[in-house]
Order: sequence, then structure tokens, then C-alpha cells
Amino acid sequence: MANITKKVSWSSRTDESGAAGEGTPLLNGSEQPRLSRQQSGGGSIFQIGRLSTVDLEEEITSDEDSLRGRPKEIPHNEKLLSLKYESLDYDNIENQLFLEEERRMSHMGFRCLEISRWVVCGLIGFLTGLIACFIDIVVEQLAGIKYQVVKENIERFTEFGGLSISLILWAVLNSTFVMVGAIIVAFFEPIAAGSGIPQIKCYLNGVKIPRVVRLKTLVVKVCGVICSVVGGLAVGKEGPMIHSGAVVAAGVSQGRSTSLKRDFKIFEYFRRDTEKRDFVSAGAAAGVSAAFGAPVGGVLFSLEEGASFWNQMLTWRIFFASMISTFTLNFFLSIYHKNPGDLSNPGLINFGRFESESMAYNLYEIPLFIAMGALGGLLGALFNFLNYWLTIFRIRYIHRPCLQVMEAMLVAAVTATVSFTMIYFSNDCQPLGPEHTEEYPLQLFCADGEYNSMATAFFNTPERSVRSLFHNPAGTYNPLTLGLFTLTYFFLACWTYGLAVSAGVFIPSLLIGAAWGRLCGILLASITANGSIWADPGKYALIGAGAQLGGIVRMTLSLTVILVEATGNVTYGLPIMLVLMTAKIVGDYFEEGLYDIHIKLQSVPFLHWEAPATSHWLTAREVMSSPVTCLNRIEKVGTIVDILSNTSTNHNGFPVVVQITGSDEPAKLCGLILRSQLIVLLKHKVFVELARSRLTQRKLQLKDFRDAYPRFPPIQSIHVSQDERECMMDLTEFMNATPYTVPQDTSLPRVFKLFRALGLRHLVVVDDENRVIGLVTRKDLARYHLGKHGLEELQLAQT
Amino acid sequence: MFLHQNVAFFALLFMSAYIFVSGDVVNLTASDLIDKSGLVRTSSSAAAAVVNSPVLKPAPDLLFSLNLLSNFPEDLEISEYCNELLHIFGQRYVTYVNCLVPAARPVKVCQNCFSSFESLNDTYENISSNDVGPGNVSCRDSLLRSDRLMLVFLLFNNLKDIWTKSNCDSCIIKVPHFNLTSDTLYFLATLNRTLSCFEKYQQGNRTELCTNCKTAYKGLNDLYSGMEKNQTLCIDIEDAMNMTRRLWSKNFNCSSPREETVAVIAVSSFMLFLPIIFYLSSFLHSEQKKRKLIHPKRAKSYTSLMNIQDKMS
Repeated sequence: MANITKKVSWSSRTDESGAAGEGTPLLNGSEQPRLSRQQSGGGSIFQIGRLSTVDLEEEITSDEDSLRGRPKEIPHNEKLLSLKYESLDYDNIENQLFLEEERRMSHMGFRCLEISRWVVCGLIGFLTGLIACFIDIVVEQLAGIKYQVVKENIERFTEFGGLSISLILWAVLNSTFVMVGAIIVAFFEPIAAGSGIPQIKCYLNGVKIPRVVRLKTLVVKVCGVICSVVGGLAVGKEGPMIHSGAVVAAGVSQGRSTSLKRDFKIFEYFRRDTEKRDFVSAGAAAGVSAAFGAPVGGVLFSLEEGASFWNQMLTWRIFFASMISTFTLNFFLSIYHKNPGDLSNPGLINFGRFESESMAYNLYEIPLFIAMGALGGLLGALFNFLNYWLTIFRIRYIHRPCLQVMEAMLVAAVTATVSFTMIYFSNDCQPLGPEHTEEYPLQLFCADGEYNSMATAFFNTPERSVRSLFHNPAGTYNPLTLGLFTLTYFFLACWTYGLAVSAGVFIPSLLIGAAWGRLCGILLASITANGSIWADPGKYALIGAGAQLGGIVRMTLSLTVILVEATGNVTYGLPIMLVLMTAKIVGDYFEEGLYDIHIKLQSVPFLHWEAPATSHWLTAREVMSSPVTCLNRIEKVGTIVDILSNTSTNHNGFPVVVQITGSDEPAKLCGLILRSQLIVLLKHKVFVELARSRLTQRKLQLKDFRDAYPRFPPIQSIHVSQDERECMMDLTEFMNATPYTVPQDTSLPRVFKLFRALGLRHLVVVDDENRVIGLVTRKDLARYHLGKHGLEELQLAQT
Repeated sequence: MFLHQNVAFFALLFMSAYIFVSGDVVNLTASDLIDKSGLVRTSSSAAAAVVNSPVLKPAPDLLFSLNLLSNFPEDLEISEYCNELLHIFGQRYVTYVNCLVPAARPVKVCQNCFSSFESLNDTYENISSNDVGPGNVSCRDSLLRSDRLMLVFLLFNNLKDIWTKSNCDSCIIKVPHFNLTSDTLYFLATLNRTLSCFEKYQQGNRTELCTNCKTAYKGLNDLYSGMEKNQTLCIDIEDAMNMTRRLWSKNFNCSSPREETVAVIAVSSFMLFLPIIFYLSSFLHSEQKKRKLIHPKRAKSYTSLMNIQDKMS
């Protein structure tokens, strides 16, 4: 009944708002009469205080659904926010327990904490370096075996015929490796798919992505990336290193593994989101630094992605972790390469040294570099655009794990086929160099003593191809080979990214860019009579690689530094920066960065640096969720259990209000309590009656909350008997007594700034008498975004 | 480049004080083989000049009056013994260079000239050794280190570089006496057999040559690959193999032809066809994933929507 009246009363206003407007009136169930009364009164005074007693009414939402039929279903698209994602508690919960513990801690205690932070960072760096080393060596060995087998096979069949068998062998080998990689990802840990950079970006932004920093994810990620690189896909192993570093950090800093059920009883102080976040940013930095041999780049990567939570000491610690990671990798690789102690071979991808004189650049080349940057931006936007549609198709139609595995295998087979066909029909033969820079030279139909130049690009791990494009002397590739290679690899890489395998996009982008960059260099040299002024095509390969990578991922500062560090030549700083700037400007004009696209398609409530530009007219009142489910300071257990187990409103934070007994005064805000805390309280049965009866009972400590972190049991697993439901719970000690609040007229940008800068999870909106009228959460803020037609609102969806 | 060489040449020839080019000579040693041969020629003439005009007794020359107004006092002159050594060094130098130049193409620098290099090396070792000769003088200091140019050292180093670069050491055994290694000899024999086979069939049909000489050629090729793995290759062998390969592949056109184009195209188009089927079938048969929309709780959320609508319209 209420619904209908409401609808009628609102219909005039929501005429043109269409579907979304139609949905809104049905929100609040039986509270609507009250609301409409208030509206007609014109006042903004909500009698929310009464909500604490009527909050069970929210269950009515399910009735609503049945009233108006099934809930609306739409195909997946980018304009959704998933309910699956929650915020992390980056704001310390300053309840009495916490304050007591902090007060008890001596000066010495804090110093020990500081030292253990350093120890943890060192460990993170060390372990990340080890993992990078492991991946590197295993990939090299396995890929070596694979290419050797295929090479021998091709050599045998070149002479006697039957090369199609070699083609099939290559395709089958590739598919097998990729199948293993795809199966472990698709069936065991889907979150390990892709490069992991979007996920880590979200984590540092404050979104809790389920299972993203688990040990299992790490194992699947490492094995998966080995399989996909060995399987010859157009992928790199650098992106996954960043994710691996983050997982290592999240694991080490906790001093225990929930998956292995081992608790080392160390670093217990760090068992909360605030501390963990700092370590995860250190881990991500260590990952970048191991992947590219770029310690400073790693620190800046963390800075770029998680900069709102930053301080000087943290930066210094993160830098420490990065350095340790690079040099651990160097040390172990030097042992592997049998010259132990040589620490100068940094990074999984080593661009080699750009030091020869021909690599110098001149002022007149700067405009050329900028033009190449613009081209990189264009190509990057095209790449992202294609990948965007492909990803949407994948989410909509290829969502079953077995289909995902099949798709990955097909991509692997086609990659091998295309590579083989390219090599087969290539007529570009080059004489073998004296020092054998080519790891697996294929002769095929070339004259004896020569090798197929196309094969150096395709018949190799992508990293080696990048390096040979950068460093092989002029004349190693002919333009046709490079052009064809760029074209095919572009589409292969675009097709590959987003498969259910763990793999990064850095190396393929670099490879595409290096190929067309080198092509530019060769063409420049050929159109001028005196080709020598354009010097080395390797220089243009580097610029092209930077442009393409910048055009695809749109990172700025950190990418510049990473590339400069990876080339080991500071003088390239200026051209690389200019190129990345141009690529970003041009690319952003057409399409977003690849990582942002994937974050959007995952429906993650991601908060950008600033509120959308045109949102000043929105106030907290319009942004907030309302009405709010509140709890009384001394609340009945039954009520709490009911609220927590209500599946339709999966709330996480509950404002605690105090009602002055006997008066009609509405309740006032006195604190905020989280679902996780309530669950721990219920589990330990901290009830007023029990405390009275058993005086000896141990007082609940902060440790009990930490032990349950981060996997708090679901409410269903907690048994509360009928008698206990009648008990009361006193939340005074456990709630955060000083939650952040804003008045209801605060503008959206202001709310946004507070929320983003402090890493809040719940922001209570109060009226002038400190009564709760609404609650702003991440999803309320993230739903506004600047679309093509001005400000748009994203919809919430169940995924 | 040419200018530098000339400068070097004249500087060496006249032994004048204009010795600013020493740096250039060092640079030249780093250049590639063609330049090298040019340099070798330069050096050889320079060496000849050295022989003809020993340091302290210059032949009558244009610059005689300028150069030798007076002799240095006795104790600064080099001993007779060292002078003798220098003389021998010069002769052997000429011999070696004379041997090298004709062996430049086709490359036979190792097999032809190893003995003359050996004797040159001996002399140089004598000069540079620490041993004190008759008269209680060490020639090392007086011949090698007395001046900035260090001509003897420089000259020898150039040739030594050629020797190292051509990797002759791996084709020469030093005990019991200097000779080519058995591997090298065996390779040369095999090479001769192959070349004679080529010669035999050269007049006739090319395909005949390809089939008949295949075993010989393949044997040679395998032998070469084996030696390549053992790293027992010197420039002579590499060059000989390169030439043979070029003969085989380019002149006689005996490399494997591209024959199975059809099969490869068939297999690859089948492979390329698979994904199309896969995507089509999953598009048609897989049910589209739908998302359930959730309606958030909002107070007066209509206003914000209204505003957005206003903005949009």
C-alpha cells in the first residue's frame, strides 16, 4: 500500500528519470509514510532515533521483491558497483581496549615495534627477491627445454619434410603448459588471474578484495605465471611479481599463516588493516623493484597507487624493502650464473645497458620522441578499447571455469600457430653473429650459417625479444619483419590479457612498442641521405617501448623512473618523461588506462584522488545511505544476532546510540561498532548477565580481536541459544567512541576528501543535535563518476 | 680514418718529435678487420722504416741535420745487445707481416703464419724478459719503456691483437713443437674432400651435385658443429666453413626448399578456425551472465537523481 502511495506522490518528479527513479521509491518499505510526512512538512528532521527499535523492518526488502516480481537483472557492464567488495578498516578503532593497551605500552615497547617494522620490511624484501629468483630460474629452464625440443624437431623436419608436425608439436606443448596454468587459476583461485596490479591498486585504495593476499593466491600466482610464460603466451612475469610481493608482505607481517594454521606468536601488534596496508605497499614496491631492478621506481609505484596514506618513515622503510629485494635477486642470480658475489645484474627484465655513444640523443630528436609518444597513446587507446570489449564479452559469456581453461589453451595454440606461420613465410635471413646473441637460432630455409630473423622475435621468451630489439645492431631486422611482428603481436597481446592465467601486460607492451619504435628508427635512417645522424635504432626501440607501455597502463612518475632505472641511463629521463606524458594525454582523450578499465569492469568501488569535478552541488544528505541501522549502547543479544544475520542488508558498521531512559528524546550518537567486533563479542559471550554471574571470567582483550583477524567467522557459525538471546550486551568498552561525523550539509567533495585522506570506512552523518541521520560508506561515494554526459551514478549489483 | 693512418705512418717513419698520434694508433686497433689489414700494412712499412733507421744511427735523411745534431752521452745509449735484439725483432716482424698479408683472403693466417708468429713472439719475450743480458743491462726498460710512444710494445701489440682475434691458439698445439692440431688437420682434409666433390660435379647438373656431395658436406657441417661446441675453432676454419656454406646454399642452391606450404597453411588455418568456433558457440550456447541490481537505501535520493537528470538534459 505504502509503496503505491509513494509512487503516486513521486511520479511527477521522476517522470524522466526512468528505471532508476522507479526503483528508488520502493526503498524503505513501511517507513515511507513517515518519510513522506517529513517531506510534506518541508523539514529535514528525521526521527531516525526510533530506528534502533524498528530496524528489523529492513527485512521487508525481500517482501518488496516478491511484490514487484523478480529483481531487475541487467547484463554486466562497467557502470556497476559490486556488493562483494568492502572497505578495509584503515582508521584505527579507538575503543577503550585499544587506548588502554596503548597507554600500557612503554616507550621501549614502541621502539621495539619500530625495530620489528624494519625487520618485517627486510624479510619482505628478501622473500620477494627469492620468489622473483625462483620464477626467473624455473622459467628459463623450462622455456629452454621447450625451445630446444621444438628447435630440434624443426631442424629434423626442415630437411625431410613434415614441418606441419613441428607446428602441431609446438602448439600442443604451449597448450599443455597453459592448460596447467589456467586450470589452477580458474578452478582454485580466480583472483590470481591477470597481472594482479589492479587488485593491489584496489587494496591500497582501501578496498577489501576477497582472498587477494592469501598464501594460496601466492602459490597459484607463482605457478600460474611460470606456466603462462613457458607456454609461450604474449605475457610477462613482471606484473605478477608485484602481486606476489604484496602477498608476501601481508603474510610475513602477520607472523602467522591462517591457511597453514601456524601461528608464530610474533608481530601480533600488526594484525590489523592499518599496519597491514603499510606492509603491503612495501611488498608491492619490493615486487616492482625485483621485477625491473628499479628500487626507486618501486617506491614511487607504491606512492602513486597508495599515496593518501604516507609518511616519511614509511617511505624510507619501503625503500629499504625495495633495495633488499633487488639485491637479494641479484645475489641469488649471481650464484645461479656461477659468479657469486656479483651484484650488478638487477631485475627480472634487464634492458641491458644503454651506454654506447650511438645511444646519445640530440635536441632535434625531441619532437620526434614526442610524436612517437602520441602514436603510443593512440595505439594504447586502441589496445585498451579492444581489450575492454573482449573483457565484457568474457565476463558475460565465458564465465564457467572449463570454458576459461579452453579459451586459454586456444589462445596458446593460436599464438604458436601464428608465430610458426610468420617464421615459416619469412624471408629475412641474417648471418649468425660471432658471439651468438640469439639463444635459439632457427635456420629453416635460410642459407647455412644464417638464421631466420623473424624467429628471434617470435621463437624466444618475450623478455629476450625485447632485449634483442633494444640492443641488436642496426640491420639485424628488416622493416617488413618488424611491421608484421608489431601487427600480430599487438593483437595477440590484446587477446591474451584478461585470460584466466596469471600474467602481466608490461612485457608485451614493451615488446610491441620496441618493435614499432625500432621500425621508426630504421625508416628515419632510410629517408635521410646520411643515415648516421639518426644513429642507433635501439634508441627508438626504447622510446617506442616507453610510449606503448605508457599508452596502455597510463602510469606516469613511477613508470618513468622504472624505465630510467631499468635502462640504467639517467640521461634518458627527459625523453622518456616527455613520451609518457604525451602518451597519457593522447590516450586519456580516447580511453582510460587498462588497469582502470579492469577495475571498473570488476565493479570495484574505487575512490579516485578527488571527487568528480562537477559534484559540488551534492551534499552529504543526498550521498548518504539512510535510514541507518543503529544499536543501543546496551543492546539485546537477540537483536544483534538478527541484524547480523539479515542477509539482505549486509551492513558492516553500526552507529551506537544512547537513549535517555524515560524521555521521548531521540537517541544520540555515542559511538560506532563493527560487525567483526560484534561477532567476536558474541563468540566470547560477553553478556552483561554472564559477567555478573561469573566474576572470575577473564576480561576480553584486544588480543582476542586480533586472533580472529582477518578471517572473522560468519554469523551463521556462532550459536546463540534462546536463553542467551534475552541477555544484554554492553558495547561501551568496545565501540569506537569517537567516530568521524559530518553535518548533513557538507558538500560531496568535502566528504570525499575526509573519507579518502583518512581511509575511513564509515562516516556518520548527524544533524545539529548529534542524531544519526545517515551513513556514508565507500560505495556511496564511489557511485558518482564523471561519464561522457556529465555526472553519472553507478548502480549497486550483486555479483 | 685515412688521415690518421697517414699521420701515424709519417710519425713512425721519421721518428720525429711529433708523436701526438699514439692515442690514435691505439684506437685503430679496436677497429674491425678490414681496417686492421690496412693498419697492418701501415705497421709493416713502419717496421721496415724502423729496421732501416735504427734509433741511434739514423740513415742519412732529409731531417738528418734536425734530428741528430749530437749524440746522447754514452750511459744513456742502449747497449749493443739490445740493439741486436731490436734488429732481430724488426726482421721477424717483417717476415710475419709479409706472411699475413697474402693470407688475408681466403683467410689462412693461422695455418700459414703460425711459425713466423712464434719466432716473433720469442724475440719479444726476450726483449721483455726480466733477464739481464751481457753488460748487465735489461733491454726491457730501455726498449719498451723509455718513451711515451713505446713503439716496440705498440707494434707487437697490434700483431698480437690480430693473433688473438683470429683465435689461432685453438688451432695450434705448442707441444711437442708448434704445429696445427690434429682436429684442424682432420677438418682441412674433410674440407678438401668436400671441395673436390664440388669440383667434380660442378660442370653437370646442380641437383646431381646436391645429392652426390650431400654426405660429404653434411659430414663437414657436423664436424664443424662439433668443433664449435668444443670451441676449437680458429678463423681459418670458420672462414673456410663460411665459404663452403655459401657455395652450397647460394651458388649451388642446395638448401632445403620450402615444400610443404600447403600442409602448413592447412594446419594453421584449422588452428585459427578453432577460436572462432569457440567464441561463436559460447556466445550462442552459454547463458549470459546477468547482474541483480540492488536498490540502496537513500533518504531523498530522488533529489540527487533529479539533479543528475537535470544536468544531463
